[in-house]
Amino acid sequence: MSELLAGQTWQELLARPSFIELDALGRADALLDPGSVRVLAGPFDRLESPWLEPQGITPQADDGTVVARGTVDGRPVVVTAIEQGFLGGGTGEVSGAKISQALLLAAEDSRVGTPTAAVILFETGGVRLQEANLGLNAVAEICSAVLDLRPHAPVIGVVAGTVGSFGGMSIAAGLCTRLIVTPQARIGLNGPAVIEQEGGVDEFDSRDHTLIWAVDGGGQRHATGLADVLVPDDSNLLRAAVVDAIRAGVPEPGRHRSERLDVLASRLAVYDPATAPSPGDLPALWGGSYEPVPASSQPAAAKASDPPATRGRSWLAALSRGATVEAIIPSVLSATTPDARYLAVVPDPDNRFYRARQGQVGLTESLALAQAVHDVIEADRSAERRAIVAVVDLPSQAYGRYEEMAGLHQAMAATTDAYHAARVAGHPVVAVVVGSALSGGFLTHGLQANQILALDDPGVEIHAMHQAAAARITLRTVDELDELAKTIIPMSYDVKNWAKLGFCDGLLTVSNADDPTPADVELVGAAITEAVRRARVGPRDLSNRLDSDAAATTRKASRRVRDVLARQWNPGS
Amino acid sequence: MQTLNYRFPARGVATHPIHVGVVASGDLEILLEPPGDDGDGVVVRVRTSVDGFDTVWHDVLERFFTRTPLAGRWELNDFGATPGVVNLRLRQASEAAGTAS
Repeated sequence: MSELLAGQTWQELLARPSFIELDALGRADALLDPGSVRVLAGPFDRLESPWLEPQGITPQADDGTVVARGTVDGRPVVVTAIEQGFLGGGTGEVSGAKISQALLLAAEDSRVGTPTAAVILFETGGVRLQEANLGLNAVAEICSAVLDLRPHAPVIGVVAGTVGSFGGMSIAAGLCTRLIVTPQARIGLNGPAVIEQEGGVDEFDSRDHTLIWAVDGGGQRHATGLADVLVPDDSNLLRAAVVDAIRAGVPEPGRHRSERLDVLASRLAVYDPATAPSPGDLPALWGGSYEPVPASSQPAAAKASDPPATRGRSWLAALSRGATVEAIIPSVLSATTPDARYLAVVPDPDNRFYRARQGQVGLTESLALAQAVHDVIEADRSAERRAIVAVVDLPSQAYGRYEEMAGLHQAMAATTDAYHAARVAGHPVVAVVVGSALSGGFLTHGLQANQILALDDPGVEIHAMHQAAAARITLRTVDELDELAKTIIPMSYDVKNWAKLGFCDGLLTVSNADDPTPADVELVGAAITEAVRRARVGPRDLSNRLDSDAAATTRKASRRVRDVLARQWNPGS
Repeated sequence: MQTLNYRFPARGVATHPIHVGVVASGDLEILLEPPGDDGDGVVVRVRTSVDGFDTVWHDVLERFFTRTPLAGRWELNDFGATPGVVNLRLRQASEAAGTAS
């Protein structure tokens, strides 16, 4: 276990004040200057999740997330610490809103002259499946808020362990200014059990701990440039690393890992599952710094199979009304009209990443989408900002071992960053869900939009996880999940219920969702035009998801979090 | 999940709010607040993930509050803690309530 020493002697290891052994409040306390800690929206504000008690799950009074303000090295900082003991650190409506609203308040202060850094302590299995779609959206809001704050003050991610960071929250980790890990930490998009459920035990054996840490472990992430600082589990050393990160301030625009499409592209160009690379090969292949790697003479894959007709392909072609449909890569299609760029992820039976052949969002899809979005931003820098329309029909993100080895979360962070950058630059970003929109796939391609439209059709499914996998992870049966979904609307797989959550800007009824008629195209086209108009006059952040009529009913708890945090943000108020 | 309510007589009074523990597997959190409108005794609400242990809860709480009759509103959010853990958390909360805020 010498790797757990991370440079320490065993005497130092025994004498250390452990960080991992602390609860969320203890961790926040260990990082902030002594005596400066002020807990906001704490247990006595009773912001517990409204969705757990009806499911027979005991809630926690602060919903398992501590927000603490204070100073680090004398500078204003807000720490958001996830309690890993409570429901595996899963992101729910309330716990997610606490993080995003705290980041937004820090951004507001930073913009008006008080730079306020944020530290996020990631210990999470990802979206809390008991609050599925509200958790998924909460993650999208957290990602957006990280990106809102990041240009003004550093956002420091800390993954100490032992839960680690999984699911969509790892995308947020990939957006951080600096990421600090311990050898006990793990960072991945899909957790081992989920990959095993979706891809079989040959794809990933979730009982093989050596494999898990070889792929997701803090040491490996650091050795491949996906984490910046590796420190042993010692509160003093973690605090010192946080102090350093905050002192270093905000890097130049374009230098964040999630903005480095050049690095991502060069890494993926030399990475091929067909050669069966092992985790141990990656540090040599890519290097430990996040800089471009030299190109190899890898031959381009020959195209053979005809791509299958899918809703994404059909709607992209129909909505762009005769514009040339161009394949950025075979699995990412683009069509550009005078006022919009349409993008869709589609199946590619010859995808060299075999876990992404059915239209999943994988590594190369994330990169291609990010590049396409950045191209529009670049082209319109001094012109009217064209709309970007994400046509969404994707089974999920790619659940694969090679995806996790390469850091799928980091590739998705690049796409999330790109869509956010477009929205903030004034491009109306509209998502149109015409088929499935599952989990991390939807987080990457759709959930950063100003406006989200969906077809009211049985083939449209929006959710945080496939039902079979969700059943396995939450130790329930599929029948039990069906029963719960009748009363707990964020858990429902029915798009009509999804539309009640506060972030649906239009539920559209068409006659043929598989093969749209001219009238269908007319109707959806008009809805997009209207959504673009609303986006141009509406907010460029995601606040409309809390201010909508539906949110006033369904997202009462999130709105209370926003009010309580705003009221308590400054001392004495 | 079950919600259980108990009342016990008291002598001392909690003067400031106390929070201890986590709703983690085998653990519980306790929120203790000074007495409210519902009287000046010990008022306990237990929410527990494990059904059917009403009698055990009653006995554990009665024994504790007989020795430590600290008036206040006690909320216990439990995730399958054993009686031993429950006792430790109750002592932790009452000791914290006895120190100056």
